[in-house]
Order: sequence, then C-alpha cells, then structure tokens
Amino acid sequence: MAQSMAAKPNRPKLSFKDWFALPRVQKWFVIVTFAIVPLLLLLVFTYIPFGKMIEYSLYDRSYTKVRAFVGLKNYLRIFTKKDYFDAMFLSLYYMAGALVQLALALYFATLLSFKTRAGNFFKGTIFFPYLINGIAIGFIFKFFYTRGFVLDTVLQALGIPLESLPYWLRDQSINNISLVATSVWRYTGQNMVMFIGAIMSVDPTLYEAAQIDGANRWKQFLYIILPSIKTIVMLNVILSITGSLSAFEPPYVIMGGGASGTATYFIKMHQAAHIDQKVGMACAMAVVLMIIIIIATILQKLFFRYVLKEGVDDSAPAKKKKKAAAAARA
Amino acid sequence: MKKTLSMLLCVLLIAVAAVASAELPRYLDLKVGEDYTDIKADLMILNHRTDLADTKYPEYIAAFTSLYPNVTIKFDTITTYADDALTRLTGGNWGDIMMIPALDKDELPTYFIPFGTKEEMMEVYNFADQWVWDDLTYGVPSTGNAQGIVYNKKVFEQAGVTELPKTPDEFIAALQAIKDNTDAIPLYTNYAAGWTMGAWDAYIGASCNGTGDFSNRIMPHQKNPFSDRGDGTGPYAMYKVLYDAAALHLIEDDYTTTDWEGCKGMINQGKIGCMVLGSWAYPQMVAAGPNGDDIGYMSFPITVNGKQYASAGADYSFGINKNSSEDDQIAAMLFVKWFTEESGFAYSEGGIPIDKKGEYPAVYAAFEGIEFIPDTPAVEGEETLLNDMNAETELRFNAGGDAKIQEIIEHGFNGTKTFDEIMDDWNERWSDAQDYLDVRVDE
Amino acid sequence: MSKMDKIESLSPAERFVRALTTVVKYFSLLLAAFIALLPLISCLLVSFKTDEEYQLTPVMQLPQNLLNLDNFRRVWVDGDMGRAFATSFFVVMVVVAFSVLVGSMLAYVLNRFRFPGNGLIRNLFLFATLIPGIAMQVTIYQIMSSLGLVNSLIGYIILQCGTDVISIYIFLQFFENLSVSLDESAILDGCTYFGVFFKILFPLLRPAIVTVMILKGIGVYNEYYAANLYLQDKTRFVTVSTALYTFTGPFGNAYNLICAGVILTMIPMLIIFVACQKQIYSGLAAGSVKG
Repeated sequence: MAQSMAAKPNRPKLSFKDWFALPRVQKWFVIVTFAIVPLLLLLVFTYIPFGKMIEYSLYDRSYTKVRAFVGLKNYLRIFTKKDYFDAMFLSLYYMAGALVQLALALYFATLLSFKTRAGNFFKGTIFFPYLINGIAIGFIFKFFYTRGFVLDTVLQALGIPLESLPYWLRDQSINNISLVATSVWRYTGQNMVMFIGAIMSVDPTLYEAAQIDGANRWKQFLYIILPSIKTIVMLNVILSITGSLSAFEPPYVIMGGGASGTATYFIKMHQAAHIDQKVGMACAMAVVLMIIIIIATILQKLFFRYVLKEGVDDSAPAKKKKKAAAAARA
Repeated sequence: MKKTLSMLLCVLLIAVAAVASAELPRYLDLKVGEDYTDIKADLMILNHRTDLADTKYPEYIAAFTSLYPNVTIKFDTITTYADDALTRLTGGNWGDIMMIPALDKDELPTYFIPFGTKEEMMEVYNFADQWVWDDLTYGVPSTGNAQGIVYNKKVFEQAGVTELPKTPDEFIAALQAIKDNTDAIPLYTNYAAGWTMGAWDAYIGASCNGTGDFSNRIMPHQKNPFSDRGDGTGPYAMYKVLYDAAALHLIEDDYTTTDWEGCKGMINQGKIGCMVLGSWAYPQMVAAGPNGDDIGYMSFPITVNGKQYASAGADYSFGINKNSSEDDQIAAMLFVKWFTEESGFAYSEGGIPIDKKGEYPAVYAAFEGIEFIPDTPAVEGEETLLNDMNAETELRFNAGGDAKIQEIIEHGFNGTKTFDEIMDDWNERWSDAQDYLDVRVDE
Repeated sequence: MSKMDKIESLSPAERFVRALTTVVKYFSLLLAAFIALLPLISCLLVSFKTDEEYQLTPVMQLPQNLLNLDNFRRVWVDGDMGRAFATSFFVVMVVVAFSVLVGSMLAYVLNRFRFPGNGLIRNLFLFATLIPGIAMQVTIYQIMSSLGLVNSLIGYIILQCGTDVISIYIFLQFFENLSVSLDESAILDGCTYFGVFFKILFPLLRPAIVTVMILKGIGVYNEYYAANLYLQDKTRFVTVSTALYTFTGPFGNAYNLICAGVILTMIPMLIIFVACQKQIYSGLAAGSVKG
C-alpha cells in the first residue's frame, strides 16, 4: 500500500512501461502472479470449507435444507451416543496396528541398512504394496480372507484344520484385526523406506567407530541408529494417530461399507453426510476429528521440545548435512 | 472472482427458471407415438438396475427411439443406488430422469416437475400417491411390487415341506427341515450387499399388520411400536423371523462374503431354499439358470386374524429434472409414459402394473386369497414425519436402513444380544425421537 | 578385510550368536517377503482361471492354463478399463504438471522475496496441514456443487490440484539449498524475475520435481474417494479406482475376473516401480522430512 502511494508523485514522469519495469513493481507483479493460484485454491478448498464446516456443525441440516439451529447439540451427541463413541474406540485398533507397523518397519529398516544378500529384492517386495490402489487392496484381501480361500488354504497346509480356524471377517472379535492387518501390509514398506533413508543419513564413521569399540548390532541400533531417527519415528507415531481416525478403505471395500462392527469414525462421518444426509452432524464429527489432530500435533511439538530435547539439537546438524548432500547432487 | 461467478450463477438460474416456467404439455394428455414425434432431445436416466444395463435397456431404447428418432437415451446405472442417489441429486448435473431416492417430500418441488394432481393421477395409475407434495404428484412408479418370499419349490419339497408356512413358527420349522434334509442354505440373507438387507423394511406395512396405515400414520405416533404383541404380528414378529433364522444358523455360513449376483444362480440350482425379496426378484431368479420352473413365490409367513396380507407398493419412481430444458422435459415425459404404459417393463419384471388397465404377471398367482395393500400416505402436515423420525433415530425404515438389519443377523448369529434387547433399543430410540421432534404419542 | 580378521578372532559362542542372528535375519526377511507376495500371487493365479475352474478347483491350485488371458480381455472390455486408464493417465499428467508448476512458483516467491504477508502465507499453508482434508469433504462437496463442478473432469482435476502443501514444502526446502547468487548474477545480466525462475532455477529443481511428480502421481493414480464422489456419472468418467470399485456389482464374487482387474491396475505401478525404484525411495525419504 505504502509503496504504491509513494509511486504516485513520480507518475507523470514515467510511462506505464517504465513504471512496470521498476524493480519493486516487477517484484510485486511476480509475487502476485506466482502466488495467486495456490492462494485461491487454498481459500476455496481449505479455508472457505473450513469456515462452513464450523458453521454447519451448529445446525441440524441436510445439503439443501436447514432444519434448525441446534447449537452444540451435535457435538454433545458425538460424545453421548454409543455409535459414534464405538467408532472412536475402533480407531484404537488402527492405532495399535500402526504401532506394530512402525516396529516392523524399524526392524526391517535396520536389517536392510546392513549388507544383506538380495537386499534390494526384499526391500522392493516389502515396499511394493504401498504402490497398490486401495480399492485393489480391498478386493485382494476380501478374496484372501474368504472362508476356505487363500489364508485358510495356507494355514491348512501348515496343519491347522479348517474347523479350528475363525471366520476372519464374520467373527466380530477379530474382524477388525483382519482389516487392520491389511493396512499394516500396505504401509509397512513405506515406513521402512523412510527409516532406511534416515538411517543412511547417519555418518558411517560412527558405525566404524562402534565396531572398533566392539559394540554388537543391538548396541549399534540402540546407541547410533535409534537416536538419529527418533525424530522421524515420533513423527510417524503422530501421523499414525491421525491416520487411524481417518481409516476408510479397508472396511469400505472389504466389509461393504463397515458392516459387522467395522465402521470407523470416518465411515460414520461419510454415512452421516451422504446416506443419512445429516450434514450438520457430519460437520461436527469433522470438527472433533480436527481438534483431536491439532491436540496430537501440539503434543508432538511439546514432546520434541521437552522430552527429546537433544533430538532437536540432533536434527539441526542433520539438516545441514542434508543441505550439503543436496548441493552436491545439484 | 467469486462474485462474478455467483453473479453468473444467478443469471443462469434465472434463465433456467424462466425456461422451466414455460408451459409444459399435460402429462395425462400426451399421446405416445403421436405427439411431438420430431422432438429433439438427449436424455440421461439415472437408475439402479445394473442387471438390465447391458441386456434389456438397449432393447427399450431401440423401441422408444423407433417412435422418436431424434431422441437419444443413455442409462446411468449405479450398483449402490440406495446409498448414492441422494448425493447425486444434491450434487446436481445428474441427468433428466432419475429414480426418486428417499427424499424429504417438501423438497420434491426443488428438484422435480409435477406430473399432475394427485387425484387425476390416481384415477389412471397405481401407486401414484407415493411422491406427492402439496397435492401434486412428482413421481410415476416404474413398476409396483408385492412383498413376499422367493423360494425354490424343489428344495422345499425335498425337505418335506408340503404346505407353505403361514406363521413365523411354521416358517422357521420349514427352514430347519431344509437344513436337516437337504444341502441347500435354508435362507440366504445377502447380508454383504447391504441394500438387500434394507429390503426387509418393505414388510413393515400390511405384510405384518394387515393394514396400510401402519408405516405413515400409526408407527410415527405409536409408543414402542417394536414391542412384542404376543400374537405373532407386527414388526417385532417380522424381524424376529430373521433373528431366529440367524440364531439357529439357518442362513449362509459366512454371511460377510455373500454375493448378490451369485445368489440368483444358486437359488435357481437349488443351493438356496429361499430369500426374502420383493416380487421384482422373482423373474431375475427364474432367468438365472436352467431351472426357472423350480422358482416359486409365497407370501410372508405372518397371519393377522386368520388372514394373510401383502404389502404392495411402488418400486422406484421416475422423477423428471426441473432444470432440464423444455424439450428434454417433454421427451422425458414421453419416455416415462411409454415406459410405464407400453414397454411391457412392469410385466416382464414381474411387477404390479402401473397403468390400472395393465395385466398382472403370473407370479401373483402365488398371492391367491391374499390381499395387496399399499401404504396409506401420511395425513396432511405429516408428510415428512416418517423421514424426520428416520433421520433422528437412524433406523431409516424403507430409506437405506441396512445397518440395523445387518445387526439383527450379527446379534442373532453370534448371540451377542437377545432379540428383545434389540427391539428395546429401537423403541428407546423411537421414544427419544418422538420426544425430540415433539410428536404426538398415542396410547 | 578387517571384518574377516574380526570373525576369525571370535570365540565359538560369539560365532554361534552371529550365525543365529543371520538365520533369524534371513528367516524374518523371507517370511516378510512371503507375506507381502502371497496375496498378490494368489490373486495372479486365480486371474488365469476360467469360470468353471474357479468354481470347481481350490483357490490355491495352479490354473490349467497359465496363458489364459481371457479374464483380462473380459475385464478390459466389460469393466471399461481401457477408458479408465486413459482418464487416469490424463488426470495424473495434468495434476502432476500443475502441482509442479504452481508449487515451485509459490516456493520461489516465498523463498526469494521478503514481503509483508510472506510469513502469513507460510502460516496459512502450515495451518492447512492440521485440518484433515478428508474431514472437510462435506463442505467441499457443497462448494463444488454450487460451482457446478460436480460430475466434471475439470472439477475433479482442480480438486486434486487443491491445497498441495507437501509439494510446496519439498520445493521450499530445495530452494533453501540453491544459492541466491545465481539469481543475482542473472538479474545483473538483465534477466527478469520470470526469466530467472523459468530459465535458471526451474531446470535446477529437477530432483525436487521428480520427487513431487512421484509422490503426487502415486497419490492421484490411486485416489478413490473424491473420484467416486465427484465423477459420479460413470458412463462419462471413470478412473482406474472407480472402474475397479464398480466390479462389486456385476462381477459379484467372481474373483477370477475381479483379480484380473486388480492385476491390470497394478501393472502401470509395477512398471514405474521397476523403472524408478531409486527415485521413489529417495522421493519418499525426502517427502517425509516435511515436519
């Protein structure tokens, strides 16, 4: 604003072309042209819907029809109605699954960071599921778990009679575990690759020094690898919490939209919005989801700041190293 | 940017409104094959019959376009219609004709054009009071259905069931006999498909009460409508059939992986005893294999005061898009009229004819001595009451309430809840909603 | 060599532990590979079976004819996979090109210029990462339908371009490592800011561009939720994901057909994976440090 005011007195002397060529005009021109599209998208697809979401959550309404202003009643229901509460409880399965997945990823990442025969094959095989379409994964596992099909056949080959095997999808004490397993199958490789990347960025001289000191693998893992990657591990723990609340594809495809007690929080939200046409309720659910995610993020920040104090210190030189590496690549 | 856009939108809406307000011909006066034979239009029809998409629909299109050569027709068919149709409707851009989904009746004028007044439509057509708002009919049913049970006669015979069951107890005994004496699955639930479960709600009217007043007039005002009446009637007795069948494991073994397309061939080959589906299912089961003659149809096994009844009613109804161009709307009216009166669709799909002069298919012989009773529409001022109750309780009777019926199977099969506990829960939700919506409660 | 010396100097007990860890290591790796592959291989096997074979033989039995491509042909035709692939590739290309261009341009502006609002914009994008995009589907759907963008390929593409914070971060990070002196000397040579960006800096962004292309490309190719919600009219628009999902209808539980479709959708990913393994790995590692 101030700049354009200042430009005014000069105006008579400058033609538009000259004015346009002024560095500060050029600068603003480039800023506006380069930033306008992403900002517009941000506004239309994030902030406007965000505002509307909060507004709608206070109403009893469908997409087209406002029934009544209900204040915080929708929120109250989320916490008092068993249905919604159950769905949140279900997320614990997915969180537990995510922790198993992180542990597995860490284990295999450590193994594969050392010299391994056919290491690339193992890495590729474990990773590939991540690239597969979620719908395809749904079908693959629906087939996999069907009575008498793939899993049952393999377990029978191991000598377990079919009669003593559970119904993987019907039995409500285990069907959620079956579904979570598909998600572990899908994402372990991706976490593993991230961890390998982090482990590889550890200064190799550290290992040499450790080996000279006679440290065994476990000690190397504990004192060299783990400290250097705990930032990214923590980050993934947080991501798994938020991810577990928005789990969607496994129950949607495998259980035909979350039957037999497999409807996750996100599925309930989708049903509320699109099948029950309770848009106000769905928005309130979304706001609750967001608040949980924000809390998780704040906890993560606090965790990094106070618990992993040295982790923050670690990451600074690590970043510098990365920079150097990137510069070298360029 | 946004302003110009919304301005543009406004102008567009006004233009559309102007077009829509232009005078359309009267639906009842249209003569298919004589009027508007040179009309030009491209019609898109949103519908649910995936099984017809590549089979019969092309034939219907050919037959209609031989009368109206300048009209093109495309069917957009969705497998999960009951779940997706409302979303499609609210998203706009869905085409010219659609099967009206479970919409609040007061929203009908927002989306569809009226076909005529309720009185004049009722004179000519069956079930024309299904989608009425403000005395105008907004939907013409594609076909009508009576609610019963499709079964394999041979399987029942092999099981030693000689007389068709008329009460829940007799029916469960028949299923047990099938389990004991044959290899067939006595009752195939089609649990996994979802909408096939919601189909149980269709029996909540006359089939288990003997009166069409139940759904729209009695149930919304009744205190605890899902309680045991003690005489083997009512919703309690009807849903209990499913619960008991599941509890006694008279249904498929792994219900979570059932296969809707596959079940047709299975019942045809005698691998399934029966399925609780409307009369529309009968011709599909007959056509699914070489043993069409084995397929039979029977009334739901509930007897009210010594007499059996069958809920009857409209299948999905055609609604015409209010925002389509005038020519498209006229062509759409012609198509709907042709489809419901002249295409033979209702007859070949085993449906009750929409045209009152139409012929009943053979399947209805199974209903000899059984009265068809459609649901009576709600009294004035309560047109949206059932919908409101449905939304509030999330039980969604006849409106995509698949989950609650799937739960009956789960609890029955796994013994996690007694049937009374489920019904108590429904009653409680019903009372809460009556309370919340300030509904008059009778009794 | 020094390692060899070490092993020689180990006591038998230590040697036993070493051997045992090696056994455990390879056993666990083999088991993991088996678990990763089993669902895929069973799927591949069944996709070669005829209808009759599928119904009569155990699922894990080898198909009679390993070259029976009939199911693939049926899926390709009846399942409309040809059109689905064309649409998906088109969407992926447009969205990826758009993300790369827009993301790098915004990152350039944010990294190279100091201006009031720079911090605000960064914070707006940062806060956007906290709002679960998936949670706003309901209101986004309403906005899309009021803009008339439901059931329109352009609408879906715009939505996919949407708020792409991760690519912006990747580019921002990369710009930090590009020396400002490059810009300065170009400006002295009479280059405009546009020239600096497009002629000098953009080509240098290659590694970051590859990363963004891979991350975004995989994401968009596999996206289902929005494709299903916004490309409702499947007679006009069908992506690989939505085409695959419609198999639940007509194909029922005919897994010989469904699995053929599943395998088909995996082929492009397999090719890209084999061809760009290294880039995918490093792209993921780079994308992960956004926090």
